[in-house]
Amino acid sequence: MQFRNQKTPEKIEPQMAPMIDVVFLLLIFFMLTLKIISPEGDFNINMPAVAQAQTETPKLLPDFKVRLLADVATGQLIEVRFGQRSLGTGPRAFQLLQQTIKEQIAGSPYADEIEIEIDADFDLNYEHVISAVSACTGEVSGTTSDGGTPKISRFVEKIKFAPPRQSQRAPVGG
Amino acid sequence: MRFKKNDPILAEVDMTPMIDIVFQLIAFFMVISNFEQTQADERVRLPADVLAQPPTVKAANEMVLNVGFVRDPDHGISEQGPVVFHNSQFCRITDTESPAEVLIYNRSSRQNQTVKTVPFAYRLDQEKRLYFDRGVNVAEEVTVIIRADTHVPTGLVQKLIQMCQESFTASDGSTQNGFAKFALKAEQSSANRAFQPRGP
Repeated sequence: MQFRNQKTPEKIEPQMAPMIDVVFLLLIFFMLTLKIISPEGDFNINMPAVAQAQTETPKLLPDFKVRLLADVATGQLIEVRFGQRSLGTGPRAFQLLQQTIKEQIAGSPYADEIEIEIDADFDLNYEHVISAVSACTGEVSGTTSDGGTPKISRFVEKIKFAPPRQSQRAPVGG
Repeated sequence: MRFKKNDPILAEVDMTPMIDIVFQLIAFFMVISNFEQTQADERVRLPADVLAQPPTVKAANEMVLNVGFVRDPDHGISEQGPVVFHNSQFCRITDTESPAEVLIYNRSSRQNQTVKTVPFAYRLDQEKRLYFDRGVNVAEEVTVIIRADTHVPTGLVQKLIQMCQESFTASDGSTQNGFAKFALKAEQSSANRAFQPRGP
């Protein structure tokens, strides 16, 4: 038996080229499967079923009613009304709505009991309703330059929708 | 004069730092990419709002409804809908306000083709019965999350909510209440774009 001790142990050199190939493949895979999702949040709304509405205890305060009128053809917002008062249209109207609700809530001991009812035209684009819900729910105050995250103050927690109206557009399906 | 011997020197590039950097990049992309099924359909363009904060408490059971339009500008298909995207099918909410068929681009035949929409009421009923069969109390434990596109008519969202609230007949024959908790989704936006519509 001839032992091969005399020979110096061969130096094993790991080959880097295939390693680099595999690593680049993995990198490309993850880069392609990357999906950037913007953060989403939700607004909770009160939707009492018809049966429940009849057994509800009578409320202390009447609801605040917000009426949103739409242009039938395009679904754009024409007017925002708070009770009997017209607030105009566009982002300014929602800012006014926010101010008005803030003034009504301020100092009121019944702030937690107040419920806002949103009555929108059938054809109104959904985004305007979200703007209305947001204007009624709260506001963001303070900027990041103050040193902290913007503060969110909540006005009204209970928001509900009035029963849906009739669509003014011609039927699509059928 | 003695010229230097013409000996081409092979540059030995040290690959170790390169591998390190590439591993760092891989780790970054692995951490960033999210394989979780969020049920968020990309075809729905949510309205943007400042107050839209991710919920702090996640609901016990969530049912996500994606309501949007079928758009394909590259193949000449403008906005069609609105329809509910449910289980890879297009579902119409009502017969008068949702279309009976939509035009989509078929990649294999390379042309536009029409696809019929199915009524959503039946599917909604199926979901309610499935929840009941799994022992979940539909009215108390399930939150319906509505992800609706910016252009969806509000009345249609309200009708969808009404359909969700309707009571259903369970597998054991009893009549059960429908969904009672709802949440409307919106994307987060910056304060200087408050209340601005998103545009076409």
